[in-house]
Amino acid sequence: MRKKQWLTSGLAVLTAATVLLAGCSNDSGGNTPQTGGTNGEVSTDPVTFTYFGFGNNKDVLASDTTIGKILQEQTGVDWQIEFVVGDASTKSGVMIAGGDYPDVISPVGELPKLLDAGAFIPLNDLIEEHGPNIKRVYGDYMDKITHEDGNIYILPYTANVNGYLSDPDAMSTFWIQRRVLKEFGYPEVKTLDQYFDLIEQYEAKYPTVDGRDTIGFLTFAGTAGEFFTITNQPMHLAGYPNDGNVLVDLDTHEANLYMGTDYEKQWLAALNKMNSKGLVDPETFTANKDQYLAKLTSGRVLGYVNYAWQIGDATNNLKAAGNDDLRYVSLPITFDENTTDAYIDPPSFVNNRGLGITVNAEDPVRIIKYWDNLLTDENQKLVMWGQEGETYSVNEEGRMVMSEEQLANRNDNEFKRQYGWMYFDYEWPRYGDNSVYEDGNAHRVFNQPEVAAVNYTEGDKVLLEAYGAETFSDFFADPIERPWYPAWSIEKEQGSPEQLFGQRSGDLQQKYYPRLVFAKEAEFETVWNEYIAEFNKLDSAGFEAFVTKRVKERVDGKW
Amino acid sequence: MEKQTVQITQSTSGDSRLRALIKTLSKQKMLMLMSLPFLLWVIIFKYIPLWGWTIAFQKFRLARDLFDQTWIGLENFRFLFSEPQFYLVLRNTLVMSGINLVLGFGTAIVLALLLNELRRMYFKRTVQTISYLPHFISWVVAANIVQTALAPEGIVNVMLMRMSLIEQPILWLGIGEYFWGILGVTEVWKNVGWNTIIYLAAITSIDPAQYEAAEMDGASRLQRMWHITLPGMKPVIVLLLIMNLGHILESGFEAQYLLGNGMNVEYSENLDIFVLKYGMQMNNFGLATAAGMFKTVVSFMFLIAANNLAKRMGESRLY
Repeated sequence: MRKKQWLTSGLAVLTAATVLLAGCSNDSGGNTPQTGGTNGEVSTDPVTFTYFGFGNNKDVLASDTTIGKILQEQTGVDWQIEFVVGDASTKSGVMIAGGDYPDVISPVGELPKLLDAGAFIPLNDLIEEHGPNIKRVYGDYMDKITHEDGNIYILPYTANVNGYLSDPDAMSTFWIQRRVLKEFGYPEVKTLDQYFDLIEQYEAKYPTVDGRDTIGFLTFAGTAGEFFTITNQPMHLAGYPNDGNVLVDLDTHEANLYMGTDYEKQWLAALNKMNSKGLVDPETFTANKDQYLAKLTSGRVLGYVNYAWQIGDATNNLKAAGNDDLRYVSLPITFDENTTDAYIDPPSFVNNRGLGITVNAEDPVRIIKYWDNLLTDENQKLVMWGQEGETYSVNEEGRMVMSEEQLANRNDNEFKRQYGWMYFDYEWPRYGDNSVYEDGNAHRVFNQPEVAAVNYTEGDKVLLEAYGAETFSDFFADPIERPWYPAWSIEKEQGSPEQLFGQRSGDLQQKYYPRLVFAKEAEFETVWNEYIAEFNKLDSAGFEAFVTKRVKERVDGKW
Repeated sequence: MEKQTVQITQSTSGDSRLRALIKTLSKQKMLMLMSLPFLLWVIIFKYIPLWGWTIAFQKFRLARDLFDQTWIGLENFRFLFSEPQFYLVLRNTLVMSGINLVLGFGTAIVLALLLNELRRMYFKRTVQTISYLPHFISWVVAANIVQTALAPEGIVNVMLMRMSLIEQPILWLGIGEYFWGILGVTEVWKNVGWNTIIYLAAITSIDPAQYEAAEMDGASRLQRMWHITLPGMKPVIVLLLIMNLGHILESGFEAQYLLGNGMNVEYSENLDIFVLKYGMQMNNFGLATAAGMFKTVVSFMFLIAANNLAKRMGESRLY
């Protein structure tokens, strides 16, 4: 009897202890890469490395995709590719605190934090020894990719090689539904007033679509992470490209904030006026991303503002739906007629987005070799165009072309995942989007004029003809060279006054923009003054001085 | 009980007191053994991490040794307490916490009382299941449901318009003043069923003889609820109240984070979101820790005060 009691209570203690310990046990399965080869001789033994991206995508095993499989056959290297779920800065914090890094990381916005923690290894010697192709591609950009301490930590995605081919289908941030233009005989729309006026006229004529109210104007400001969509517009309307929160003077290279200036006031006053006419969607500041995208694809919205890359899925869906009247087109909108727009990005090099190897990588040499192998013309064609005869063909003149079906696949999200473009065509060491191959073909599929032409729907062609344009880029002014561009990629140090300014000014805008837009027209001035009073409490001069200094350094070639 | 122990200790010397202790220990060794893992758990997960409080006094940088950190004294606290935004979020935290506390307690107790009076078992079970369900939905989904329901064309506005209570749809989440109310209702919807469980358990421990006696004496149903069920639940209610007062600065995070937007930020932003924005996201872990310490100290004060109050009023208490 007594023994039995011992047994039962002993078991109870054991169970309790296991339950507790189970939570702490270390899961060490599967992700330790085997080191292959000896004495610098790099083998092609099968090995799986880990890749972590701080962007949005679905996890995948590289060899499950066509491209990943081909690259694995060449090198023996496979990748377990994972992406962040939830809050990126929390994830990077946990990663750093635990020292639990994958083999390579594409840090996106988490770069300064990871650099500060010493997560990346210097690549200088590795590139020197094992990277002839890397040297060829990044050679011209060495000063830009070298960190202040003289080391190279990441390989960016924007190193253009063999010249510069611009996107035939550049886009702005101001979109209008095509039926609006059609209704009024494709008028010239250049200024913000003209743009809003057109929307107003159309709404007056057709207040409902299929029994539901039309929405005059909408923008993506309901979630904190996308709030820049509405705050960035004064910059574009004033004729500047996306330099973040500053306007950089072309001659003096002085960086000035446009927050709290007349530009911002003019933009908000225009929105306020639109609102008093009932043309601004009341959910502008409350709709979440799903609600926003649902509205855009419903066909009820006449005009909206955001960057094309924020809503790729919605535009693809609208295109696939096939009703050109309900699709949108972006226009070169500025404050006044005499301002030259700057919607087409000037040639630029983004040096704070790239892929780096972490201190946990056991075999950096093989990773560098893999990257180097990736940077041949052949493999760059593979990750952008696919395989000849299957996903593209070469015509008699040696130009790479795609049939309509091939192009449909290149645009289809599911096919892109399965083929691997979704995973390999961007966040790896690569040729920049504007690159040209040795044989003269464009690196980016849609930069190839032959492909762009096939890509146009009948509606596209009607629209282009109406405006006497060959490509959508013809809508916009040619870019001006800005050697510092883009100023938003200037890194602000962790815990610095500049970083604090960024957070505080952002909070202030998030608080006042809705009030300013939704205020009664007569009260706009009062709210604006209140906003300016709050804004003046912030150290904007210090921030401008900081950015100006860095811009001037970049102009002098010191990145 | 107390009297007995006193007598024993008085009548024996120090040496035998030790022996008595050992005797008690060996008598209860099973209990000791069983509580050991939990004691370890508390030490490992609740006491050892207190070491991390040192971060509050540093300009903390990740992945660096203690000796490589810069010590900055009370700088983080100074920043925190001189930040006007801090007092705003503190107000929001306290108000939302208060609302949750009052509404949470009130609704759960009432629902428990009502459920207890139900005669038909299957009906009771159905009500219970339905009221538990929202508790198991993640906040992300729940917030989406709330956002959709409160949209200008959502079910709430449509219903109110059909009943001609309002003429124009109301942008519920766009009006800051409404946020606290919306949050309170959402919290109740999500948690009321779950919160009743402990009260229902307390009710089952009430001696049925009391009800029989009351019935004999002609007590009505309401009187029985008031004079027997409620007093029977009182110890549990007081205990939970004390524990919840200890969490007064925890007004939740997900709900405010997901339902908050630019238009209601002045009412929705609470201490946790402030810490996330100015601490975590800016990699300023020192500030985050300082705010955490502040929360702990306040919670401790509330806990002790509530416990003392309960003690003075002769109620059941935590210690």
